[in-house]
Amino acid sequence: MTADKHQQLQAQIKKLDSISTAPAILKPLLDILRQPAENVPFDKVVELASYDGAIAAQCLRLANSPLVGSRQIETVRTAIAALGIERVRSMLFGVCVNQVIPKEKWVLDPVAFWRHSLGCALVTQRMAKGIGYPEPDKAYLAGLLHDLGFLVNSILYNEDFRKCLKLALDRRSALGLCETEILGFTHCESGQLLAEHWGLPHELSETARYHHDVTELKNAGPLVCLVHLSDLLCRVCNLGYGYEEILSVELGRDSAWIPLVTAYPALSEVDLVRFTLDIEGAMDQIVTTVDSVFGKTAAAGKS
Amino acid sequence: MPTDPAFLKIRDLIYRISGIYQSEEKLYLLTSRCGRRMTAVGAKSAAEYLEHLTTRGNRDAELRLLLNEITIGETYMFRHLPQLEAMRNVILPQVMQTKGAMGFKRLRFWSAGCSTGEEPYTLAMFLLEESAKQLAGWTFDILATDLNDNSLETARAGIYGEYALRNTSETLRKKYFKVHGEKTLQASDQLKSQIRFERVNLSDGTKMLFLKGIDVIFCCNVLIYFDLASKRRVVQHFYSNLMPGGYFFLGHAESLFQVDDTFRLIHFPGTTAYWKAPAGKTGGGKK
Repeated sequence: MTADKHQQLQAQIKKLDSISTAPAILKPLLDILRQPAENVPFDKVVELASYDGAIAAQCLRLANSPLVGSRQIETVRTAIAALGIERVRSMLFGVCVNQVIPKEKWVLDPVAFWRHSLGCALVTQRMAKGIGYPEPDKAYLAGLLHDLGFLVNSILYNEDFRKCLKLALDRRSALGLCETEILGFTHCESGQLLAEHWGLPHELSETARYHHDVTELKNAGPLVCLVHLSDLLCRVCNLGYGYEEILSVELGRDSAWIPLVTAYPALSEVDLVRFTLDIEGAMDQIVTTVDSVFGKTAAAGKS
Repeated sequence: MPTDPAFLKIRDLIYRISGIYQSEEKLYLLTSRCGRRMTAVGAKSAAEYLEHLTTRGNRDAELRLLLNEITIGETYMFRHLPQLEAMRNVILPQVMQTKGAMGFKRLRFWSAGCSTGEEPYTLAMFLLEESAKQLAGWTFDILATDLNDNSLETARAGIYGEYALRNTSETLRKKYFKVHGEKTLQASDQLKSQIRFERVNLSDGTKMLFLKGIDVIFCCNVLIYFDLASKRRVVQHFYSNLMPGGYFFLGHAESLFQVDDTFRLIHFPGTTAYWKAPAGKTGGGKK
Protein backbone atom coordinates (compact mmCIF):
# COMPACT_ATOMS: atom_id res chain seq x y z
CA MET A 1 0.00 0.00 0.00
CA THR A 2 1.34 3.44 -0.86
CA ALA A 3 1.90 6.06 1.87
CA ASP A 4 -0.91 8.18 0.40
CA LYS A 5 -3.33 5.30 0.42
CA HIS A 6 -2.34 4.51 4.01
CA GLN A 7 -3.07 8.06 5.13
CA GLN A 8 -6.34 8.13 3.25
CA LEU A 9 -7.43 4.81 4.78
CA GLN A 10 -6.46 5.96 8.25
CA ALA A 11 -8.54 9.13 7.85
CA GLN A 12 -11.52 7.12 6.60
CA ILE A 13 -11.35 4.75 9.57
CA LYS A 14 -11.45 7.69 11.95
CA LYS A 15 -14.74 8.66 10.33
CA LEU A 16 -16.11 5.14 10.86
CA ASP A 17 -17.58 6.02 14.25
CA SER A 18 -19.83 8.64 12.74
CA ILE A 19 -20.74 6.65 9.63
CA SER A 20 -21.82 3.41 11.27
CA THR A 21 -24.06 3.19 14.26
CA ALA A 22 -21.73 1.36 16.61
CA PRO A 23 -23.78 -0.16 19.40
CA ALA A 24 -23.29 1.37 22.84
CA ILE A 25 -21.85 -1.85 24.21
CA LEU A 26 -18.98 -1.88 21.70
CA LYS A 27 -16.55 0.11 23.83
CA PRO A 28 -17.06 -1.76 27.12
CA LEU A 29 -17.04 -4.98 25.12
CA LEU A 30 -13.67 -4.15 23.59
CA ASP A 31 -12.45 -3.60 27.16
CA ILE A 32 -13.42 -7.12 28.19
CA LEU A 33 -12.04 -8.57 24.95
CA ARG A 34 -8.62 -7.32 25.97
CA GLN A 35 -8.59 -9.39 29.15
CA PRO A 36 -8.01 -13.12 29.62
CA ALA A 37 -11.38 -14.91 29.88
CA GLU A 38 -10.77 -15.86 33.54
CA ASN A 39 -10.26 -12.20 34.54
CA VAL A 40 -13.49 -10.98 33.02
CA PRO A 41 -16.05 -10.15 35.75
CA PHE A 42 -19.11 -12.35 35.31
CA ASP A 43 -21.50 -9.53 36.28
CA LYS A 44 -20.02 -7.25 33.65
CA VAL A 45 -20.80 -9.80 30.93
CA VAL A 46 -24.35 -10.27 32.26
CA GLU A 47 -24.77 -6.50 32.22
CA LEU A 48 -23.57 -6.20 28.62
CA ALA A 49 -25.62 -9.12 27.40
CA SER A 50 -28.73 -7.78 29.09
CA TYR A 51 -28.29 -4.35 27.58
CA ASP A 52 -29.98 -5.20 24.34
CA GLY A 53 -33.09 -7.35 24.10
CA ALA A 54 -31.94 -8.94 20.86
CA ILE A 55 -28.60 -9.94 22.35
CA ALA A 56 -30.22 -11.35 25.49
CA ALA A 57 -32.60 -13.37 23.32
CA GLN A 58 -29.72 -14.75 21.30
CA CYS A 59 -27.92 -15.79 24.50
CA LEU A 60 -30.99 -17.69 25.59
CA ARG A 61 -31.48 -19.24 22.18
CA LEU A 62 -27.91 -20.52 22.09
CA ALA A 63 -27.99 -21.71 25.71
CA ASN A 64 -31.13 -23.71 24.96
CA SER A 65 -29.74 -25.15 21.72
CA PRO A 66 -28.80 -28.84 21.56
CA LEU A 67 -25.17 -27.77 21.46
CA VAL A 68 -25.23 -26.71 25.10
CA GLY A 69 -27.78 -28.83 26.87
CA SER A 70 -31.35 -29.82 27.11
CA ARG A 71 -32.58 -28.21 30.32
CA GLN A 72 -34.73 -25.11 30.09
CA ILE A 73 -32.72 -21.91 30.63
CA GLU A 74 -34.75 -18.81 31.27
CA THR A 75 -32.44 -16.05 32.49
CA VAL A 76 -29.52 -14.32 30.85
CA ARG A 77 -27.42 -15.03 33.93
CA THR A 78 -27.93 -18.81 33.80
CA ALA A 79 -27.56 -18.74 30.03
CA ILE A 80 -24.13 -17.14 30.37
CA ALA A 81 -23.13 -19.58 33.09
CA ALA A 82 -24.09 -22.45 30.78
CA LEU A 83 -22.39 -21.00 27.72
CA GLY A 84 -19.16 -19.87 29.39
CA ILE A 85 -17.57 -16.45 29.23
CA GLU A 86 -15.53 -17.22 26.15
CA ARG A 87 -18.44 -18.23 23.97
CA VAL A 88 -20.59 -15.33 25.17
CA ARG A 89 -17.76 -12.90 24.59
CA SER A 90 -17.31 -13.95 20.96
CA MET A 91 -21.07 -14.00 20.51
CA LEU A 92 -21.40 -10.48 21.88
CA PHE A 93 -18.68 -9.38 19.56
CA GLY A 94 -20.44 -11.02 16.64
CA VAL A 95 -23.75 -9.39 17.45
CA CYS A 96 -21.99 -6.08 17.85
CA VAL A 97 -20.26 -6.33 14.50
CA ASN A 98 -23.52 -7.32 12.86
CA GLN A 99 -24.85 -4.02 14.16
CA VAL A 100 -21.75 -2.07 13.10
CA ILE A 101 -22.25 -3.20 9.50
CA PRO A 102 -25.58 -1.98 8.14
CA LYS A 103 -27.47 -4.88 6.58
CA GLU A 104 -27.14 -3.60 3.04
CA LYS A 105 -23.37 -3.19 3.43
CA TRP A 106 -22.51 -6.86 3.95
CA VAL A 107 -20.42 -8.02 1.00
CA LEU A 108 -19.30 -11.43 2.19
CA ASP A 109 -22.08 -13.77 3.21
CA PRO A 110 -22.25 -12.95 6.96
CA VAL A 111 -22.81 -16.60 7.83
CA ALA A 112 -19.65 -17.57 5.95
CA PHE A 113 -17.77 -14.69 7.59
CA TRP A 114 -18.77 -15.81 11.08
CA ARG A 115 -18.14 -19.47 10.41
CA HIS A 116 -14.67 -18.57 9.20
CA SER A 117 -13.95 -16.23 12.12
CA LEU A 118 -15.23 -18.61 14.80
CA GLY A 119 -13.63 -21.56 13.06
CA CYS A 120 -10.33 -19.78 12.99
CA ALA A 121 -10.71 -18.83 16.68
CA LEU A 122 -11.34 -22.44 17.63
CA VAL A 123 -8.57 -23.90 15.48
CA THR A 124 -6.04 -21.31 16.68
CA GLN A 125 -6.94 -22.10 20.27
CA ARG A 126 -6.76 -25.88 19.74
CA MET A 127 -3.43 -25.62 18.02
CA ALA A 128 -2.15 -23.29 20.76
CA LYS A 129 -3.16 -25.79 23.43
CA GLY A 130 -1.67 -28.65 21.41
CA ILE A 131 1.78 -27.09 21.20
CA GLY A 132 1.86 -25.62 24.71
CA TYR A 133 1.45 -21.93 23.78
CA PRO A 134 0.86 -20.27 27.18
CA GLU A 135 -2.14 -18.07 26.26
CA PRO A 136 -4.74 -20.13 24.38
CA ASP A 137 -7.45 -17.55 25.20
CA LYS A 138 -5.46 -14.87 23.47
CA ALA A 139 -5.00 -17.25 20.56
CA TYR A 140 -8.78 -17.70 20.37
CA LEU A 141 -9.30 -13.96 20.28
CA ALA A 142 -6.59 -13.42 17.67
CA GLY A 143 -8.33 -16.01 15.49
CA LEU A 144 -11.71 -14.39 16.04
CA LEU A 145 -10.51 -10.88 15.13
CA HIS A 146 -8.03 -11.62 12.35
CA ASP A 147 -10.38 -10.54 9.54
CA LEU A 148 -11.55 -7.23 11.03
CA GLY A 149 -10.45 -5.57 7.81
CA PHE A 150 -13.46 -7.00 5.98
CA LEU A 151 -15.65 -4.73 8.14
CA VAL A 152 -13.73 -1.66 7.03
CA ASN A 153 -13.79 -2.70 3.39
CA SER A 154 -17.51 -3.51 3.53
CA ILE A 155 -18.50 -0.21 5.12
CA LEU A 156 -16.08 2.25 3.58
CA TYR A 157 -15.32 0.72 0.18
CA ASN A 158 -18.52 -1.18 -0.40
CA GLU A 159 -18.78 -1.07 -4.19
CA ASP A 160 -15.13 -1.75 -4.84
CA PHE A 161 -15.08 -4.50 -2.26
CA ARG A 162 -18.02 -6.13 -4.06
CA LYS A 163 -15.91 -6.05 -7.21
CA CYS A 164 -13.06 -7.72 -5.30
CA LEU A 165 -15.33 -10.53 -4.17
CA LYS A 166 -16.73 -11.00 -7.66
CA LEU A 167 -13.23 -11.18 -9.12
CA ALA A 168 -12.10 -13.65 -6.44
CA LEU A 169 -15.20 -15.73 -7.08
CA ASP A 170 -14.66 -15.75 -10.85
CA ARG A 171 -11.02 -16.67 -10.50
CA ARG A 172 -11.62 -18.84 -7.44
CA SER A 173 -8.53 -17.20 -5.99
CA ALA A 174 -7.58 -15.66 -2.64
CA LEU A 175 -9.58 -12.54 -1.85
CA GLY A 176 -6.49 -10.59 -0.74
CA LEU A 177 -4.96 -10.72 -4.22
CA CYS A 178 -8.08 -9.18 -5.74
CA GLU A 179 -8.23 -6.52 -3.02
CA THR A 180 -4.70 -5.41 -3.88
CA GLU A 181 -5.66 -5.26 -7.54
CA ILE A 182 -8.84 -3.23 -7.07
CA LEU A 183 -8.54 -1.37 -3.77
CA GLY A 184 -4.77 -0.97 -3.64
CA PHE A 185 -4.71 -2.50 -0.15
CA THR A 186 -6.02 -5.64 1.53
CA HIS A 187 -8.27 -6.41 4.49
CA CYS A 188 -5.03 -7.10 6.38
CA GLU A 189 -3.96 -3.47 6.17
CA SER A 190 -7.40 -2.05 6.88
CA GLY A 191 -7.82 -4.60 9.70
CA GLN A 192 -4.65 -3.43 11.37
CA LEU A 193 -5.78 0.20 11.22
CA LEU A 194 -9.20 -0.63 12.68
CA ALA A 195 -7.62 -2.70 15.46
CA GLU A 196 -5.38 0.24 16.29
CA HIS A 197 -8.33 2.64 16.12
CA TRP A 198 -10.22 0.43 18.56
CA GLY A 199 -7.18 0.29 20.84
CA LEU A 200 -6.78 -3.49 20.66
CA PRO A 201 -3.45 -4.88 21.92
CA HIS A 202 -0.52 -4.65 19.52
CA GLU A 203 -0.30 -8.42 19.00
CA LEU A 204 -3.90 -8.48 17.77
CA SER A 205 -3.44 -5.65 15.29
CA GLU A 206 -0.23 -7.33 14.14
CA THR A 207 -2.15 -10.58 13.58
CA ALA A 208 -4.82 -8.75 11.59
CA ARG A 209 -2.06 -7.20 9.47
CA TYR A 210 0.22 -10.17 8.79
CA HIS A 211 -1.97 -13.26 9.00
CA HIS A 212 -1.67 -13.90 5.25
CA ASP A 213 2.05 -13.27 4.98
CA VAL A 214 4.19 -13.66 8.06
CA THR A 215 7.36 -13.18 6.01
CA GLU A 216 6.63 -9.45 5.96
CA LEU A 217 7.44 -9.44 9.67
CA LYS A 218 11.10 -9.50 10.67
CA ASN A 219 10.53 -11.88 13.56
CA ALA A 220 7.06 -13.36 13.34
CA GLY A 221 5.77 -14.26 16.80
CA PRO A 222 3.87 -17.47 17.52
CA LEU A 223 0.44 -15.81 17.61
CA VAL A 224 0.47 -14.53 14.05
CA CYS A 225 1.94 -17.85 12.85
CA LEU A 226 -0.82 -19.79 14.63
CA VAL A 227 -3.52 -17.62 13.08
CA HIS A 228 -1.94 -17.87 9.63
CA LEU A 229 -1.95 -21.69 9.77
CA SER A 230 -5.45 -21.81 11.26
CA ASP A 231 -6.78 -19.53 8.53
CA LEU A 232 -5.35 -21.91 5.91
CA LEU A 233 -6.72 -24.97 7.69
CA CYS A 234 -10.17 -23.41 7.91
CA ARG A 235 -10.09 -22.59 4.23
CA VAL A 236 -9.13 -26.15 3.27
CA CYS A 237 -11.83 -27.45 5.63
CA ASN A 238 -14.46 -25.53 3.66
CA LEU A 239 -14.73 -22.75 6.23
CA GLY A 240 -13.52 -20.08 3.84
CA TYR A 241 -15.19 -16.90 2.67
CA GLY A 242 -18.26 -18.56 1.20
CA TYR A 243 -16.92 -19.39 -2.25
CA GLU A 244 -14.94 -22.33 -3.58
CA GLU A 245 -11.33 -21.31 -3.65
CA ILE A 246 -8.72 -23.23 -5.62
CA LEU A 247 -6.21 -23.96 -2.94
CA SER A 248 -3.37 -26.33 -2.23
CA VAL A 249 -1.33 -25.90 0.89
CA GLU A 250 1.84 -27.53 2.12
CA LEU A 251 1.62 -26.68 5.80
CA GLY A 252 4.85 -28.46 6.73
CA ARG A 253 6.84 -26.06 4.54
CA ASP A 254 4.77 -22.98 5.12
CA SER A 255 6.57 -19.78 6.10
CA ALA A 256 4.66 -19.73 9.42
CA TRP A 257 5.37 -23.36 10.20
CA ILE A 258 9.14 -22.97 10.39
CA PRO A 259 9.34 -20.24 13.10
CA LEU A 260 6.54 -21.92 15.01
CA VAL A 261 8.11 -25.37 15.03
CA THR A 262 11.42 -23.80 16.11
CA ALA A 263 9.72 -22.13 19.10
CA TYR A 264 7.41 -25.07 19.84
CA PRO A 265 9.06 -28.37 18.84
CA ALA A 266 5.87 -30.19 19.98
CA LEU A 267 4.37 -29.03 16.68
CA SER A 268 6.54 -31.49 14.75
CA GLU A 269 4.77 -34.26 16.68
CA VAL A 270 1.38 -33.17 15.37
CA ASP A 271 -0.10 -35.49 12.74
CA LEU A 272 -1.60 -32.89 10.43
CA VAL A 273 -4.03 -35.33 8.84
CA ARG A 274 -5.33 -36.24 12.27
CA PHE A 275 -5.50 -32.58 13.30
CA THR A 276 -7.44 -31.76 10.14
CA LEU A 277 -9.90 -34.56 10.85
CA ASP A 278 -10.33 -33.14 14.36
CA ILE A 279 -11.14 -29.76 12.86
CA GLU A 280 -13.60 -31.30 10.43
CA GLY A 281 -15.16 -33.06 13.40
CA ALA A 282 -15.57 -29.72 15.19
CA MET A 283 -17.21 -28.12 12.14
CA ASP A 284 -20.68 -29.15 13.20
CA GLN A 285 -20.19 -27.33 16.48
CA ILE A 286 -19.06 -24.17 14.68
CA VAL A 287 -21.89 -24.33 12.18
CA THR A 288 -24.49 -24.88 14.94
CA THR A 289 -23.10 -21.99 16.99
CA VAL A 290 -23.06 -19.60 14.06
CA ASP A 291 -26.46 -20.63 12.78
CA SER A 292 -28.11 -20.39 16.17
CA VAL A 293 -26.59 -17.01 16.93
CA PHE A 294 -26.24 -15.28 13.61
CA GLY A 295 -28.26 -17.41 11.24
CA LYS A 296 -31.48 -15.43 11.25
CA THR A 297 -29.82 -12.04 11.53
CA ALA A 298 -27.41 -12.90 8.76
CA ALA A 299 -30.06 -14.32 6.49
CA ALA A 300 -32.05 -11.14 6.96
CA GLY A 301 -28.94 -9.13 6.15
CA LYS A 302 -28.49 -10.93 2.87
CA SER A 303 -31.89 -10.15 1.49
CA MET B 1 -23.50 -38.73 27.22
CA PRO B 2 -19.75 -38.90 27.93
CA THR B 3 -17.89 -41.47 25.85
CA ASP B 4 -16.65 -44.62 27.56
CA PRO B 5 -12.85 -44.04 27.83
CA ALA B 6 -12.31 -47.59 26.54
CA PHE B 7 -13.64 -46.44 23.14
CA LEU B 8 -10.99 -43.73 23.09
CA LYS B 9 -8.40 -46.44 23.73
CA ILE B 10 -9.85 -48.49 20.87
CA ARG B 11 -9.77 -45.38 18.66
CA ASP B 12 -6.10 -44.80 19.53
CA LEU B 13 -5.24 -48.46 18.97
CA ILE B 14 -6.80 -48.38 15.49
CA TYR B 15 -4.98 -45.15 14.69
CA ARG B 16 -1.65 -46.60 15.87
CA ILE B 17 -2.02 -49.83 13.95
CA SER B 18 -3.91 -48.85 10.81
CA GLY B 19 -3.46 -45.08 10.51
CA ILE B 20 -7.25 -44.59 10.44
CA TYR B 21 -8.39 -41.81 12.78
CA GLN B 22 -11.80 -40.88 14.11
CA SER B 23 -12.16 -37.43 15.67
CA GLU B 24 -13.83 -37.18 19.07
CA GLU B 25 -16.92 -35.65 17.48
CA LYS B 26 -17.25 -38.61 15.11
CA LEU B 27 -16.56 -41.21 17.78
CA TYR B 28 -20.19 -42.29 17.72
CA LEU B 29 -19.47 -43.92 14.34
CA LEU B 30 -16.72 -46.01 15.87
CA THR B 31 -18.91 -46.80 18.87
CA SER B 32 -21.67 -48.15 16.66
CA ARG B 33 -19.26 -50.21 14.56
CA CYS B 34 -17.59 -51.63 17.65
CA GLY B 35 -21.09 -52.42 18.89
CA ARG B 36 -21.65 -54.88 16.07
CA ARG B 37 -18.38 -56.68 16.76
CA MET B 38 -19.06 -56.62 20.52
CA THR B 39 -22.33 -58.42 19.94
CA ALA B 40 -20.58 -60.93 17.67
CA VAL B 41 -17.90 -61.81 20.23
CA GLY B 42 -20.20 -61.46 23.25
CA ALA B 43 -18.26 -58.61 24.86
CA LYS B 44 -20.42 -56.84 27.44
CA SER B 45 -18.46 -53.60 27.62
CA ALA B 46 -16.02 -51.54 25.59
CA ALA B 47 -13.31 -52.43 28.10
CA GLU B 48 -13.96 -56.14 27.58
CA TYR B 49 -13.92 -55.68 23.82
CA LEU B 50 -10.61 -53.82 24.11
CA GLU B 51 -9.23 -56.99 25.69
CA HIS B 52 -10.36 -58.94 22.61
CA LEU B 53 -8.36 -56.51 20.50
CA THR B 54 -5.25 -56.45 22.65
CA THR B 55 -4.70 -59.49 24.82
CA ARG B 56 -6.82 -62.36 23.53
CA GLY B 57 -5.28 -65.02 21.28
CA ASN B 58 -7.31 -64.05 18.22
CA ARG B 59 -6.64 -60.29 18.53
CA ASP B 60 -5.19 -59.94 15.02
CA ALA B 61 -8.21 -61.58 13.43
CA GLU B 62 -10.57 -59.49 15.55
CA LEU B 63 -8.79 -56.28 14.65
CA ARG B 64 -9.13 -57.17 10.97
CA LEU B 65 -12.84 -57.82 11.42
CA LEU B 66 -13.25 -54.47 13.18
CA LEU B 67 -11.37 -52.69 10.38
CA ASN B 68 -13.74 -54.37 7.91
CA GLU B 69 -16.65 -52.95 9.89
CA ILE B 70 -15.08 -49.48 9.93
CA THR B 71 -14.47 -49.37 6.19
CA ILE B 72 -17.68 -51.15 5.19
CA GLY B 73 -19.87 -49.25 2.77
CA GLU B 74 -16.90 -47.18 1.70
CA THR B 75 -17.22 -48.18 -1.91
CA TYR B 76 -19.58 -46.36 -4.13
CA MET B 77 -18.86 -44.23 -7.17
CA PHE B 78 -18.04 -40.55 -6.73
CA ARG B 79 -17.79 -41.11 -2.99
CA HIS B 80 -15.03 -38.64 -2.27
CA LEU B 81 -15.66 -35.64 -4.50
CA PRO B 82 -12.96 -33.38 -2.96
CA GLN B 83 -10.32 -35.78 -4.38
CA LEU B 84 -11.75 -35.26 -7.87
CA GLU B 85 -11.95 -31.50 -7.32
CA ALA B 86 -8.29 -31.47 -6.31
CA MET B 87 -7.50 -33.48 -9.44
CA ARG B 88 -9.46 -31.11 -11.66
CA ASN B 89 -8.22 -27.84 -10.17
CA VAL B 90 -4.63 -28.50 -9.20
CA ILE B 91 -3.23 -31.96 -9.86
CA LEU B 92 -4.11 -32.43 -13.54
CA PRO B 93 -2.92 -28.94 -14.56
CA GLN B 94 0.29 -29.41 -12.59
CA VAL B 95 1.04 -32.93 -13.84
CA MET B 96 0.16 -31.98 -17.43
CA GLN B 97 2.54 -29.07 -17.25
CA THR B 98 5.38 -31.27 -15.97
CA LYS B 99 4.75 -34.02 -18.50
CA GLY B 100 4.02 -31.62 -21.34
CA ALA B 101 7.43 -30.04 -20.76
CA MET B 102 8.96 -33.48 -21.28
CA GLY B 103 7.05 -33.94 -24.52
CA PHE B 104 4.54 -36.47 -23.14
CA LYS B 105 0.81 -36.29 -23.81
CA ARG B 106 -0.23 -39.38 -21.89
CA LEU B 107 -1.22 -39.71 -18.23
CA ARG B 108 -1.18 -42.87 -16.12
CA PHE B 109 -3.36 -43.55 -13.12
CA TRP B 110 -3.36 -46.48 -10.74
CA SER B 111 -6.15 -47.58 -8.45
CA ALA B 112 -4.21 -49.84 -6.06
CA GLY B 113 -6.61 -52.09 -4.16
CA CYS B 114 -9.55 -51.33 -6.43
CA SER B 115 -11.84 -53.88 -4.76
CA THR B 116 -15.01 -54.25 -6.86
CA GLY B 117 -14.12 -51.44 -9.26
CA GLU B 118 -16.09 -48.42 -8.09
CA GLU B 119 -12.98 -46.27 -7.78
CA PRO B 120 -11.46 -46.94 -11.24
CA TYR B 121 -14.83 -46.55 -12.96
CA THR B 122 -15.30 -43.21 -11.18
CA LEU B 123 -11.86 -42.15 -12.31
CA ALA B 124 -12.56 -43.27 -15.89
CA MET B 125 -15.80 -41.26 -16.03
CA PHE B 126 -14.10 -38.24 -14.51
CA LEU B 127 -11.20 -38.40 -16.99
CA LEU B 128 -13.45 -38.99 -20.00
CA GLU B 129 -15.43 -35.89 -19.01
CA GLU B 130 -12.19 -33.92 -18.63
CA SER B 131 -11.06 -35.16 -22.07
CA ALA B 132 -13.49 -32.72 -23.62
CA LYS B 133 -12.00 -29.93 -21.49
CA GLN B 134 -8.50 -29.59 -20.08
CA LEU B 135 -7.42 -33.09 -21.19
CA ALA B 136 -8.21 -32.40 -24.86
CA GLY B 137 -5.37 -33.78 -26.97
CA TRP B 138 -4.16 -36.03 -24.15
CA THR B 139 -4.64 -39.74 -23.61
CA PHE B 140 -4.70 -41.67 -20.37
CA ASP B 141 -4.74 -45.18 -19.01
CA ILE B 142 -6.00 -46.53 -15.72
CA LEU B 143 -4.50 -49.55 -14.05
CA ALA B 144 -6.77 -51.11 -11.45
CA THR B 145 -5.35 -53.82 -9.25
CA ASP B 146 -6.45 -55.96 -6.37
CA LEU B 147 -5.30 -59.10 -4.63
CA ASN B 148 -8.73 -60.68 -4.51
CA ASP B 149 -9.76 -62.57 -7.67
CA ASN B 150 -13.46 -62.44 -6.82
CA SER B 151 -13.37 -58.66 -6.43
CA LEU B 152 -11.54 -58.33 -9.74
CA GLU B 153 -14.11 -60.51 -11.46
CA THR B 154 -16.91 -58.27 -10.17
CA ALA B 155 -14.96 -55.20 -11.24
CA ARG B 156 -14.40 -56.54 -14.76
CA ALA B 157 -18.10 -57.35 -15.13
CA GLY B 158 -18.90 -53.76 -14.17
CA ILE B 159 -22.46 -54.48 -13.01
CA TYR B 160 -23.71 -52.20 -10.27
CA GLY B 161 -26.84 -51.58 -8.28
CA GLU B 162 -28.34 -48.45 -6.80
CA TYR B 163 -26.01 -48.34 -3.78
CA ALA B 164 -22.86 -48.18 -5.93
CA LEU B 165 -24.45 -45.63 -8.24
CA ARG B 166 -26.11 -43.47 -5.59
CA ASN B 167 -23.80 -40.51 -6.29
CA THR B 168 -23.66 -40.97 -10.06
CA SER B 169 -25.76 -38.43 -11.94
CA GLU B 170 -28.44 -39.45 -14.40
CA THR B 171 -26.41 -37.88 -17.21
CA LEU B 172 -23.35 -39.98 -16.43
CA ARG B 173 -25.45 -43.12 -15.97
CA LYS B 174 -26.95 -42.66 -19.43
CA LYS B 175 -23.63 -41.85 -21.01
CA TYR B 176 -21.45 -44.57 -19.52
CA PHE B 177 -23.77 -47.44 -18.51
CA LYS B 178 -26.30 -49.70 -20.18
CA VAL B 179 -29.30 -51.36 -18.57
CA HIS B 180 -28.40 -54.81 -17.31
CA GLY B 181 -31.13 -56.06 -15.02
CA GLU B 182 -34.20 -54.65 -13.40
CA LYS B 183 -32.22 -52.75 -10.82
CA THR B 184 -28.70 -52.90 -12.17
CA LEU B 185 -26.62 -51.12 -14.77
CA GLN B 186 -23.51 -52.33 -16.55
CA ALA B 187 -20.49 -50.24 -17.49
CA SER B 188 -20.40 -49.57 -21.23
CA ASP B 189 -17.63 -51.08 -23.37
CA GLN B 190 -16.22 -47.59 -23.83
CA LEU B 191 -15.94 -47.12 -20.06
CA LYS B 192 -14.49 -50.59 -19.50
CA SER B 193 -11.92 -50.09 -22.23
CA GLN B 194 -10.33 -47.24 -20.23
CA ILE B 195 -9.31 -49.59 -17.42
CA ARG B 196 -6.87 -52.48 -17.27
CA PHE B 197 -7.72 -54.80 -14.36
CA GLU B 198 -4.88 -56.89 -13.00
CA ARG B 199 -4.15 -59.01 -9.95
CA VAL B 200 -1.29 -57.40 -8.01
CA ASN B 201 -0.09 -58.16 -4.51
CA LEU B 202 1.22 -54.86 -3.14
CA SER B 203 3.66 -56.84 -0.99
CA ASP B 204 5.20 -58.45 -4.08
CA GLY B 205 8.37 -56.37 -4.34
CA THR B 206 9.36 -57.74 -7.76
CA LYS B 207 6.03 -56.92 -9.34
CA MET B 208 5.98 -53.51 -7.72
CA LEU B 209 9.38 -52.68 -9.22
CA PHE B 210 7.99 -53.02 -12.72
CA LEU B 211 5.19 -50.52 -12.32
CA LYS B 212 6.69 -47.23 -13.43
CA GLY B 213 5.72 -43.84 -14.76
CA ILE B 214 2.47 -43.45 -12.81
CA ASP B 215 1.14 -39.91 -12.35
CA VAL B 216 -1.48 -40.43 -9.63
CA ILE B 217 -2.01 -43.40 -7.32
CA PHE B 218 -5.22 -44.00 -5.37
CA CYS B 219 -4.85 -46.46 -2.52
CA CYS B 220 -7.80 -46.04 -0.19
CA ASN B 221 -8.33 -48.15 2.92
CA VAL B 222 -5.86 -50.81 1.82
CA LEU B 223 -2.72 -50.04 3.81
CA ILE B 224 -4.71 -50.09 7.03
CA TYR B 225 -4.44 -53.88 6.98
CA PHE B 226 -0.63 -53.84 6.70
CA ASP B 227 1.80 -53.87 9.60
CA LEU B 228 4.17 -50.91 9.89
CA ALA B 229 7.13 -52.52 8.11
CA SER B 230 5.01 -53.71 5.16
CA LYS B 231 3.25 -50.37 5.00
CA ARG B 232 6.62 -48.60 4.77
CA ARG B 233 7.76 -50.95 1.99
CA VAL B 234 4.59 -50.40 -0.06
CA VAL B 235 4.74 -46.63 0.36
CA GLN B 236 8.39 -46.61 -0.73
CA HIS B 237 7.40 -48.62 -3.80
CA PHE B 238 4.63 -46.12 -4.54
CA TYR B 239 7.23 -43.38 -4.36
CA SER B 240 9.32 -45.16 -7.02
CA ASN B 241 6.25 -46.00 -9.11
CA LEU B 242 5.31 -42.32 -9.37
CA MET B 243 6.69 -39.79 -11.83
CA PRO B 244 8.38 -36.80 -10.16
CA GLY B 245 5.55 -34.37 -9.41
CA GLY B 246 3.06 -37.25 -9.03
CA TYR B 247 0.46 -37.58 -6.30
CA PHE B 248 -0.77 -40.34 -4.02
CA PHE B 249 -4.20 -40.40 -2.37
CA LEU B 250 -5.08 -42.39 0.73
CA GLY B 251 -8.56 -42.92 2.19
CA HIS B 252 -10.17 -39.90 3.82
CA ALA B 253 -9.36 -40.77 7.44
CA GLU B 254 -5.96 -42.40 6.74
CA SER B 255 -2.63 -40.89 7.67
CA LEU B 256 1.00 -41.69 6.81
CA PHE B 257 2.26 -39.91 9.92
CA GLN B 258 5.46 -41.60 11.12
CA VAL B 259 5.17 -44.12 8.30
CA ASP B 260 6.90 -42.10 5.62
CA ASP B 261 8.68 -38.80 5.27
CA THR B 262 9.66 -38.89 1.61
CA PHE B 263 6.22 -37.86 0.38
CA ARG B 264 5.06 -34.32 1.16
CA LEU B 265 1.61 -33.77 2.61
CA ILE B 266 -0.56 -31.35 0.65
CA HIS B 267 -3.93 -30.07 1.85
CA PHE B 268 -6.67 -29.41 -0.68
CA PRO B 269 -10.21 -28.30 0.16
CA GLY B 270 -11.80 -31.30 1.88
CA THR B 271 -8.95 -33.71 1.25
CA THR B 272 -5.24 -34.35 1.57
CA ALA B 273 -2.77 -36.00 -0.79
CA TYR B 274 0.89 -36.96 -0.74
CA TRP B 275 3.18 -35.42 -3.30
CA LYS B 276 6.41 -36.66 -4.84
CA ALA B 277 8.16 -33.35 -5.29
CA PRO B 278 10.36 -33.08 -8.38
CA ALA B 279 14.05 -32.73 -7.47
CA GLY B 280 14.87 -29.20 -6.35
CA LYS B 281 11.24 -28.18 -5.84
CA THR B 282 10.83 -26.45 -2.51
CA GLY B 283 7.16 -25.59 -2.16
CA GLY B 284 3.94 -27.35 -3.19
CA GLY B 285 1.36 -24.88 -1.96
CA LYS B 286 -0.84 -22.46 -3.89
CA LYS B 287 -2.56 -19.84 -1.75
